[in-house]
Order: sequence, then structure tokens, then C-alpha cells
Amino acid sequence: MKTINKIYAVVLLLLFSSCKDFLDVQPTDSGDSSTSLKTPEDAQVLMNGLMREMTSSNYYGRNFVMYGDAKGGDLTILQQGRGLDPLYNFNHTVTTNNYSGFWSTIYTCILQTNSLIENIEALENAGSTEDFSAYKGQALTARALMYYDLVRLYGKSYNDDKTSFGVPNVTTVLQSTAQPLRATVEENYNQIVNDLTAAADLLPKSKSDGFINYYANLAIQARVYLSMEEYDKALAAADEIIKSNVYTLYSNENWVDSWKAQYGSESIFELGVFPNEADLGTASLGFYLRRKGHGSTAAAGWFMASDYYLDRLGQDPEDVRWGVMSYDETSKTRLGSCYKYNGSVNLEGDKEGSSTAVNIKVIRLSEVYLIAAEAALNTDKALATEYLNAIRKRSPNLAPATTANITLDMILDEKSKELFGEGQRFFDLIRLNKSITFNDDFGGIPTTYRKKTIDRAFYKTILPISQDEINANPAIGAQQNPDY
Amino acid sequence: MCSLLMWLTTFAQSQRRVAGTVRAKDGSAVIASVKLKGTNQGTSTNDQGAYTLNDVPANAVLVFTSVGYKSVEIPVEGKATIDVSLEPGDQTLDEVMVVAYGTAKKGTYTGSAAVVNPSDFKNTPSTTVENGLNGRVAGLQVTNSSGQAGAMPSIRIRGIGSMNASNEPLYVIDGVPVVSGDGGQMSDYIYTANNVMSTLNPEDIESITVLKDAAASALYGSRAANGVIIINTKKGKIGKPVINLKSAIGLTPSWATDNYKPAGVQEQVNMLYEVYHDYRTANGDDEFTANANALDMLNSRFNQHGYYFETNGTGLYENVMIKGMTDGIENREGKYYDWDKALFRTGIYQTNDLSVSGGTENTNYYSSLSYTKDQSRIKINDYDRISGRINLAQKINKHVELISNVSLSHNDQTGFNDTRNTSTNFFLQSRNLLWPLYWPTDYKTGELWTSRYGSYAYNPEYYNNEWENSSKTLRVSANETLNVQILPELSVKSVFSFDNSEIKDHLYYSANHFEASTTNGSVSEMSTAIKKIISSTTINYNKTFGLHDLSLLAGFEAEKNQTDFQRATGTDLASSAIHTVATAGTLSANAYNWGYNMMSVLSRAEYSYGQKYNLSASYRRDGSSRLGPDTRWGDFWSVGGGWQINRETFMQNLNYISNLRLRASYGVNGTLPIDNYGWRTLTIYNNKYQQKPGGTVSTIGDPNLTWETSYTTNLALEFGLFNQRLTGTVEYFNRDSKNLLQNVPISAVTGFTDPNGNNTTLMNVGEINNHGIEVELGYDIIRSDDWKWNVSLNASFIKSKVTKLYKNSTEVNAKDIVWNDPTGGDARAQFVYREGGSTLSFYGYEWAGVNPENGKTVYYVNDPVHPEQGDFEYKGKPATYDYTKANYTILGSALPTVYGGLNTNVSYKSITLGLNFIYKIGGYLYDGAYKDVADDGYYWERIRSQDYYDNMWTPSNTNGSLPRLEGVDLTDAIQFSSRQMHSATFLRLKNINLAYQLPSNLVNKAGLSKASVYFNGTNLLTFSKYKNADPEVNQYGTRGWETPIGKIYTFGVELSF
Repeated sequence: MKTINKIYAVVLLLLFSSCKDFLDVQPTDSGDSSTSLKTPEDAQVLMNGLMREMTSSNYYGRNFVMYGDAKGGDLTILQQGRGLDPLYNFNHTVTTNNYSGFWSTIYTCILQTNSLIENIEALENAGSTEDFSAYKGQALTARALMYYDLVRLYGKSYNDDKTSFGVPNVTTVLQSTAQPLRATVEENYNQIVNDLTAAADLLPKSKSDGFINYYANLAIQARVYLSMEEYDKALAAADEIIKSNVYTLYSNENWVDSWKAQYGSESIFELGVFPNEADLGTASLGFYLRRKGHGSTAAAGWFMASDYYLDRLGQDPEDVRWGVMSYDETSKTRLGSCYKYNGSVNLEGDKEGSSTAVNIKVIRLSEVYLIAAEAALNTDKALATEYLNAIRKRSPNLAPATTANITLDMILDEKSKELFGEGQRFFDLIRLNKSITFNDDFGGIPTTYRKKTIDRAFYKTILPISQDEINANPAIGAQQNPDY
Repeated sequence: MCSLLMWLTTFAQSQRRVAGTVRAKDGSAVIASVKLKGTNQGTSTNDQGAYTLNDVPANAVLVFTSVGYKSVEIPVEGKATIDVSLEPGDQTLDEVMVVAYGTAKKGTYTGSAAVVNPSDFKNTPSTTVENGLNGRVAGLQVTNSSGQAGAMPSIRIRGIGSMNASNEPLYVIDGVPVVSGDGGQMSDYIYTANNVMSTLNPEDIESITVLKDAAASALYGSRAANGVIIINTKKGKIGKPVINLKSAIGLTPSWATDNYKPAGVQEQVNMLYEVYHDYRTANGDDEFTANANALDMLNSRFNQHGYYFETNGTGLYENVMIKGMTDGIENREGKYYDWDKALFRTGIYQTNDLSVSGGTENTNYYSSLSYTKDQSRIKINDYDRISGRINLAQKINKHVELISNVSLSHNDQTGFNDTRNTSTNFFLQSRNLLWPLYWPTDYKTGELWTSRYGSYAYNPEYYNNEWENSSKTLRVSANETLNVQILPELSVKSVFSFDNSEIKDHLYYSANHFEASTTNGSVSEMSTAIKKIISSTTINYNKTFGLHDLSLLAGFEAEKNQTDFQRATGTDLASSAIHTVATAGTLSANAYNWGYNMMSVLSRAEYSYGQKYNLSASYRRDGSSRLGPDTRWGDFWSVGGGWQINRETFMQNLNYISNLRLRASYGVNGTLPIDNYGWRTLTIYNNKYQQKPGGTVSTIGDPNLTWETSYTTNLALEFGLFNQRLTGTVEYFNRDSKNLLQNVPISAVTGFTDPNGNNTTLMNVGEINNHGIEVELGYDIIRSDDWKWNVSLNASFIKSKVTKLYKNSTEVNAKDIVWNDPTGGDARAQFVYREGGSTLSFYGYEWAGVNPENGKTVYYVNDPVHPEQGDFEYKGKPATYDYTKANYTILGSALPTVYGGLNTNVSYKSITLGLNFIYKIGGYLYDGAYKDVADDGYYWERIRSQDYYDNMWTPSNTNGSLPRLEGVDLTDAIQFSSRQMHSATFLRLKNINLAYQLPSNLVNKAGLSKASVYFNGTNLLTFSKYKNADPEVNQYGTRGWETPIGKIYTFGVELSF
């Protein structure tokens, strides 16, 4: 009986010894959000999280960049069904191929910025002596970039109809039950400009690999002002970056190798993609553009350069930019596969260990030169010519532009050559109300859902609000984009 | 004075000794209790059936009782030897069954509980016990949608108890709730999971009780709303050791039904030709160009596999001639590769069980060892289990007993994707991707084909050797029970249970494998340890005052659940011969844990008067860490009553009524959210950036999240007629569930996601009602000595509706909640919760069929605002060819009108034949896989089913029920629409069991006490309205690309020593 008493005592002890906090259980990979931001070090950790989120395959990690090129006519496909082909054939409906990942991922990123900004402001209002300004500046700038991306995906161009629907303008952390409705394109742009202006002074001017600094903010301003046709402001922002000399253009000799390194001298804003972090592997951007079967049987040869692009770059067979192109599956001589995001045509990557964990160059100095050229075109042809030629010289056999022959199309062509595969082409052509022609004859692709040549009057140049969003937020259904 | 007189009278009678044996009709010894009528004096028989009673008055009457037999009363009348032969009977009323926190007699129990006898399904070749319950219990629906080895069925008790995914019942083994459901992390990589319940060896099970209503299950409080399945494992019986040996082998040479049988190679080629031809003519080319182009397309795709193509004419419906290329080492003309043969095999199921049990007055034991191996029809999908158990009960003294149930089990599962995955789902590949024109080798060189086929399949014969996966579970559970009899009527029971499952997942890809081609090989080792510790102490008080029986119970329970996860991944592997993390050049790791705790108090009172009137009440209070501090505690209770009408005096003359009983109950149960931390807003730190830690706000907590509560009414009439020859139960139940928890889609603009990355959040959203009638009938058609034949039928008519959806103050109408079937993560079907609608309402476009004039697919517009709007009128309703102009509408419900089982057993002497049918009548199933094999547009180089080929519209088959094949990438087929909805009605012979018990004289000569051989057939016959695939679909009424189930032929032998 004695033993039994002992056993019983132990059982009772086990029962009652640990009652305190017994019902308060936390996971060990997460923390309470209300206490996650107290110091600038905390802010840095959250900023890391935000940048990582931006490298999602739904955003800069792949699809957003693919969107700009596949829809811009610089890319084409050989066969349907390999993947992401609705980006090329515009087969979007409210329920199918709606790429709602843009919407949800970018808003998840915006939540991070809103949470950072709110928490920092709360700490500042509470009289914190710590300096959070750089983080607040980064969060504001990132938010502006995200809204700029969203409004271009879902809304009409600013110079087309700025009173039409943009995207919901959310600048606070919402309740999960919130059902926000769309703002106008103009309201979105106002928010973007406000955020960028407010952020500029908070940001450091020094280089900051993998993060946003003052010049990244200016570069985004330059892009935004160009969209708003505020050319003076765009030029001023671009000029300031160029003249600061913090960044320098790649020479013709090191242009090709620049893709083999991270954070080159042109990188104003570059997102870090490291092995075991955001490396999308066989789903990465680089993988989608390389030749079928190259380095892996999983490489399906999804997208390749269109004949139009190859003709454009072919204006100079010695253009340095041929250095990132290699032959595609159709012939040994058609250099249709782009290797910018594989480091090199030999799949060297931009850092040790992986040909797919390659950083995404969001804004390069070359683009800023071309923005400056475009912005100056109507007011200062000499300046425009100077800026254009700084890039155009990468085609050594082409005559430099002159104040007499410079045109907007020359600048656009240069932008296409320089920023091929960097997600710009479609947005430039839509913004400038140019037509886009697709190389459908290359793969014999049926054009059921769009014509061979389109412009921004075509309703599918903006995406539908997805059925998932309408299911959760019914009132937004009445604000669907036209014709969907 | 009177009693003294009686005593004296009794004493005056001569006292003597009476002895004898108690046997059953077949001559086997029966352990029975032998009592002097009207006294407590008595004994029980030993394992030979023998008994001896001393001091028996000559005028005494002996009462022989044994569970499962009719009791017999025999006057002593001076006899010294009384041998008794007991007849089976009246099992239902005196049957003792295991219920919540104890046992009860079926005849006095006030709740709704069904007992399943494991011997009913013991020969079923299944690694899991749940399969055996199929069709056996009214109100219990077992759905078994995958035929993979180690796959677990899903169980629903009385409809849809919750909107939350936690619709599974609570499993209680030997008195404590256990871990059930999927364990391990393999589902993050491939969709095969390792279910923890499959560690339980069905042979170890003594009894199964299914608790259905609140009176039966409310004592389990917050986890009981979806019903409770109580399993007790075997105990030793008093007597000399019994050794039992059982061995069986099952073969699965074929599937149970046709499953999207592919069209022949000629039809496939003709269809692809049509696609290419049409897409040219649709773009304005003439027939000649279209023909040339289509042949070019075919050639460019299949020349590399050794074939080229020609047509006689240039039309759309030409027969394409398939010719063999002659420039390789092999001419494949007329030869096609048989992928079914390459991917499938005859499945083999083997099981061997050994158990030893026995006992004395103070000790009893049961120990077992079992080995089961299940190799499914899919090549490289294997499961094996080795399990051992020791159940030991030791009486330490007259007051104290210690029971120790310890089990150890190890299983090992290897498998492939069981969902829509083009790379590694063999079933999908065989039906949709692998052309008979593809070969595993190159026709030119004979070397293995390594690049991706045009259909996006990879050559399984090559890639199977380039990767491996396994999931191993080691489950150790120790369940210690201490019973202390403090007073004759007062006892204390303390249970301490430790249940630990450690799941080790291994996933390896060689550098040649497409999954690891960019990382030069990769290997992951994952360990998930699921630990559940329960401590439960209850005090029992039982007292009889004359005709009054009172039983009281009170207790305290605490439970801790923790899952520890660790993963180590290595890439850049040193050698293809060594598949370990140790050899890797680059390493990454992860480790953390999660869990939840619970604390409860519980109590129950039961009262019975004269075995006629029974009353019960229970109360439990649960506190859970899954809810916030303000809503953490919940109260659950029940009341119940029973009335044994046939024991009333006014019924005494109605001899043909052997049982008539009415019972009723009402009570409240609860359900907890499945998310551990739904009430907390969390920042998760799993997003590294530039090799530095990163944090993101991911989920938003709802501090007001509260218990889901279910209010259940139960009313039942039990009857038995003609000496229990005809028995039955008719039961009505109504369950209102409130504050239902559901992951609700939220606007993505908020930026919040659930742990799976979807824009949803957990909320208490509304109310549902389940009500229905369950009928169980049994009839003994023949009850003779040699022949026995009984039939039993059960039927459940259950309706399940969303009665209310909560809205906020600004909303006029409650918002529909649209959700997808979570199975397989492939969004195969879409449902809606709408007030007044079924809880499983398919939601999508209403497909009107095919217009016989042009072969186009037609949808009804169903505009809710302007019902007259449409492009044209079709069959009297506004319709359109363009689904984007149609509106989603409720298409039908997956819930059947009635479902259940039909079981019959015939025996002649020692031969028995049992048949177990399951059936479902009414309701729809949604086939999310068929759309892939019946695509009427061009997507990629896929193959199509024979059914599509036979039924597609062509100018010569204008009555075709499926649309015309076109050359454009149509998205119609992949929309949620009634095109994929089919009648779910079916009848299946789930099991047939034929057993023969060898004559005992023969057996005894061989030194055995019992020997039998049996044959069991599973899924041998299916009658179904839906012909394309197996009608036995999952719990949501949907089908995807899960491996089908097969026909299993099992042969077994069972020996006892």
C-alpha cells in the first residue's frame, strides 16, 4: 500500500504542479506582433522580412518581371501549355489565369510597410529616443513602389483616365474583416507621391545593398513622374542620381560580367536572392528564360525573345548586350534565350553555389539615364541626346543619336535593348499609348483572346479583380475593370 | 422476526454440494456466473466450464448467466450434478459496452451508442480499423478515397458537425483521447501523409463503441461534437494461456472500377490531329494548310519517339496513319508502350499476428506481435508495420489494481503524390500524360529517355531510381491505470497516459532528378515528435438501495500536447551512392515546436429504478490554450432518460415483444479551432534575407474567438420482437451547431494570410443544423442448430443545412462564404455556405450541356438581378456559350438522401458466409479529375479518356453529350461547373467473407484448440450511376487524382493453441 501511496502522490503532483500558465502556449517560431518592434534592430529584422517577401515568385521574384516582358512583345512562346502562357496570350478571366497573386502578395507586402510605419510612429509619439527614420523612409518608399506597381497592373494609365478605378488605398493596418474599395488612379498617384516625398529626407544617401536608400527613392520618383507626365520632376530626380556619382554606368567591357556579380555599380535597388532563402530554383525567373533543358530537364524553355526584339538588338551584331543571350531550342543560331538571371550563358550565377539564386535588379542606373533622356526630350534635346548616347554606345556600330534625329522611339528602343527581361517594356508602351505587336507566328500560337497587335484600348491590358477577392469583398465586384 | 424465520427455514433445508459444467450448444466451455436465485451467493465457472457450489439448499434455484447467452434458471431439486447448455441470445440488452469514462449495459444506457464487433470485420485486409466500420453503424459515414498503401479513410458521424476542418471524431483508446490524423511533414513536399492512427493494429482491438449523441459524448466536452470512437484493446481472460496465430495474404490484381480508361492510341492521335487542324482553320487557314500543319505538329512531337504520321485526305476527321521511323535501332511501327504495366502491379497485402493471453484471479495479460506489409498497385508505394502490445492487469490487493497497457509500433511508408501532380502521380500520368507513343528509351540509341515528354510527364522508369522518400513512425504509448476500491461503493481511477509518435521523413533527389537539378542533389531528413500527455483522475460512487441504483462520477483532467519539429536539408551531395545530409556541401536546418494544452473538470450522475427507468446527467468544464483568456473556458452538459416499456406490468401479456425501450437526451458539446494560435496576432520569423533574420506579420488574431457549440436532441425507440428475432432501432436526432469556426476568405487587401498563405482568417461565422433519422433493423431468418441466417440493414437519412451566417451591424444580408475542398490542395471543387443551403453545396456555373447544332458548350446565365438576361434561350432558360457571362449558382448538394449498409451472415455448421454491402442514394459527386481527361480544347499534349472520345460532339455524332473538340485553349472545362457533377448513387459489395472452422476432433489431434481458414473479397462488385471512376468519393463528395482503390482477394488462416 505504501508504494501505491507514493505512486498516487506523484500522479497528484504532476496534476497540480504546472497549473500556472498551463493554458498560455506560444509557438516557438513566432512572436507576439504587438511587441515585435521596440528597437531599430527589430525594425531591421522586419525590413529584412519585407524585402524577402518582395522576392516572392508572385512579385519581383518572377511574375511581375515576366509580366512586363511577356506582355510587352519582346518575348514570345513556342508552344502553349508550358506555363505562364496567359501572360503572353492574355487569357485572363475573373476566375481563371487572373494572376491574383500580384494582388495578394503586394498587399501582404503593403501590410508589412503599414505595420512598420504605424509601430514606428507609435514609438515616436510615445517619445522614443531611438532613431527609426531610415526604416520609416524605407517603408514609405517601398509602399510607394508597391502602389505604383499595383495601379499599373489593375488601373488605367494616369494619362489615360486618372479618374477611373485604381486600387484600394490602404495606409493603416486593417482589421481582418475590412472590405476596402478601390480608390481612383489619381488618388493612388497622390499617395505614391506623398509617400515618396515624405520618405526622401528620412533615407541615408550611402549605398545600402539589398535595401532602399535615398537614390532608390529618387529613382522611383523619376519613374512615377514620367508616368504622370511631370517631366521636369522626373528629370530633376534622375539628374540628381546621375550627378551624385554614387552609381556609375558599366563600361562596355564589363557590361556582360556585371550579371555575374551582385550589387554592381549600377544597382540602385537590388533585391537579394540567396540559396536556401528566396531561391526559387526551377521556378525562378532565370529558369523561365533559359533554353529548354539547359542545366536541367526541368527547364521547359518557357519564354524566348521575339523576332522583333532580336531584330532590334540585331541592328548591331556587336552590341555588348548579345553577351547575355544564347541560342534557344529552335536553332543553334537564334539567340533567343536570355541569361541575365543565370549570371551568364554558362549558368555561373551571381554568387557562390547556385545558378538560380540570382539577385533581382529592380532599378539600374541605365534606366535612370533613359528616364532622364525621355524626360528631357521635349525641353532639352541636347541633354536628352547626351543621356541616350551614354547607353546607346553599348551598340558600338550604331551612330550616336543627335539632337537632330533623336526621337522618343529611339529612347524606347534603347530601353528595350538595355532592360530586356527586366520587366519594363509593357509598362512603357502602355504608358505612352503605343501599340504592341506579338510574334505569334513564331510558335503558331492561336490568338483567340487578343489580336496580334494591341494597344491600351484593349481591356485585357489591365488585370481583372479576381473572383477570390470578390467572394471575400463583394462590393468590389461592382468596381470590376471594364469588360471583365 | 419474519426474516429470522425464513433463515431458520432455509437452514432447516438440507445443505449440499452441487457441481457441473456449462457449455454452449457447440460443446465449447462457457465462462458463466452461477448464482442462487435471490441471493448474492454464487461462483463462476472455470475455463473448462466447470463449477462447484457448496451449501446449496435443496429447494434452491440456480441462475446461469453469461454475456451473449440467454440466462437459464434450473431448480436444484436435490440433484448433485447440474450440467447446462446455454443458448445464444438476448445479447443486445445485457451487453456491456464501453462508454465515456466507464462501461454501461446497453439496456440501461440513456445515450446513443453503437457497438461494432471487431469479429465482423476482422478478416478485412486493411491496415486501419476505420475501414472495418464501413456500412456497420447507422449515422457513421466512412469515406475511403485513396487506394494508396497506408491511406486513411475519413469518418463523419451524423453529418457535418462543423465547418472547420476538424470534422473528424475524437478517438479514445483505453480511456484516453489519442493523437489522430496526419503526422509528419511529408505533405509539405509530396501529398502522401503518414496517419498516426494507422499505428494501431486492428487485431488488438477488443471493442469499438461509437458515441453519437450528447448524452453519450458530452463527458468529452469540447472535442466530442463530431462524435467519439472509443476503442478498447484486448485483455487476457482467466485460464491457461491462449496462443493465437493468424496469417493472411491479399492480392489486388485490378482496380475496383474503371477509372478514366484512356482512349486507344489511334483515337488519341486522331484527336490531337483534330486539335491542330482546328486551330489552323479557326485562324483562317484553308484545309490543306491546316492538314499540313497538323501533321507537322504531330511529327515534331513524335518523330523523336520513333513515329511519323500520314493522312489520305486533308479534312478535320481524317484517320491518321501511325508509321514507324526507320532511322533508329528499333522500328516501333505497330508497337506501343504499355505504361499501365510499367506503373502498376498486383498489390500484395500480408499480415501475420501472434498473440498470447491468459490470466489468473489476480493477474491477466494480453500480449501481441504483428507484422503487416501492404504493397499497393502503384509501384513503389509500400507500407509496413510492426507492432507489439502488452496489456497487463495486476491486482495488488483486494483494493488496488494496476493496469498497464503499453504498445510500440513502427510503420514505414513509401509513396508517391496522391494529388494533381504531373511529375509524380502515377495514376494521373497513366490516364492523362503518358502516351503509348512515348517510350522509356530512345528509339535511335536505345538509351534511357531523360528529358521531359511533351505532355510534361517525366519518364518514370528513369526517374524512379533518382529519388526516394519514406516516412517512418515510431509510436510508443504507455497507458497506466490505477484503480483503488476505497469502499465497496466508492472507487478512484487514475489514468496517466503518455503517447509519443516520432515521425521521421526522408526525401532524397539525385543530381539527375529534375527536382534537384539546380542544387546538385538534395536530401532532407525531418523529424516530428508528437507528444500527448494526459492525466485523468475520476471518483466513482455506485450504490444500490432496493430498486434504486445510483452512480456518481467526478473527475479532473489535464492534457498537454506538443509537437517538436526538426529538419536538416543538404544540397550539393558528394556522391550519388550516399543519400545523407552528412555528405552535403550546403546545409540548412529548421527546428521549432507548437502545441496546445487543456484542463478540465467533469462529472456525471446516473440513476436507475427497477431497470425500468434510467436517468443521467453530465457536466464538464474545459479550458483551452487555443482560445484567448476571455473566452478560454467552456461548459458542456447533457441530460438523458430511458424507459424500458416492456418491463411495465401492462406489457407483460404481450409475449411477442421481447424488448421495447424509449430513450431521449439533450446536451451541449463543443469544438475547438484547429489552429493553435488563432486568437494571437503573430510575427513569424521564418523569412531570412541576405543571411539575416527576417520577420513578417502574417496572421491577425481574433481575441473573441470562442467555442463552437452543438446542441443535440436525441430520441430513440428500440424494439425486439419474437424473442429478439427481429430487432431494430429508430432514432431521430437534431443538432444545432452555433458559433461555427471557419477559415473565412478575407479581402487580400488586408494583407493577412493563414498559416498556409491563403487570404483567410478563422472566425465564428454562423450556425448549421443537422437532423435526421437513423434506422437499424436486424432479422434472424433461420435460427436452427445447423443453419443460421441473419440480415441487418442500416440507413441514415440526414439533412445538413446552414441555418444562419453572422453578419456585422452594417450588413443587410449575410454574406455567402465560398470555400474550396481542401483535399490535396488542388481546389478541385467549390462550395458555398448560404443561409438555408446544404452544408455541402457545390457552387459554380450551371452547365446546360452541348448544343446539338454546333457542338458548343452551353451555360445557363442565372443572373440573380436580371434573370431574363442571356445571349439566347436554351431549353427555355437564358443561356450563353461564354461562361464568363454566366453566374455562379448552387448546383446541388454532395449530401446523399440516404446512406448505410446491408449485412448478412449465413452459416451452416462450421461454414460461415458474410456479405457487407455499402450504399449511398442521392446527392452528387464532383469529379475534379475527369476535367483533365475530357478537355475539349487544346492545352498541351495530353491524352483523353475513351469516354470523351465516345461522347464528344462531331458532325456525325450530334447527340454527343460532351463538347466538340477544338484547337484553342478553352478554359471551360476547368471552371467550377455542373459539367463535372454526377450522381453519387452507388451500391458496393464492400466485403465478402467465407470462413470454415475445421472439425475440432481433427484440430485437437494436431494439438490445436481451434483452426479456421477464410477467404475475404473486398470491393468485388460495384453498381454505380457514375461510370467513369470509383463512386466511393471523399468526405466532401469529390474526387481528384487519388490512387483508386482495388479489388482485394484475401486468403487467411487462424490457429489457436
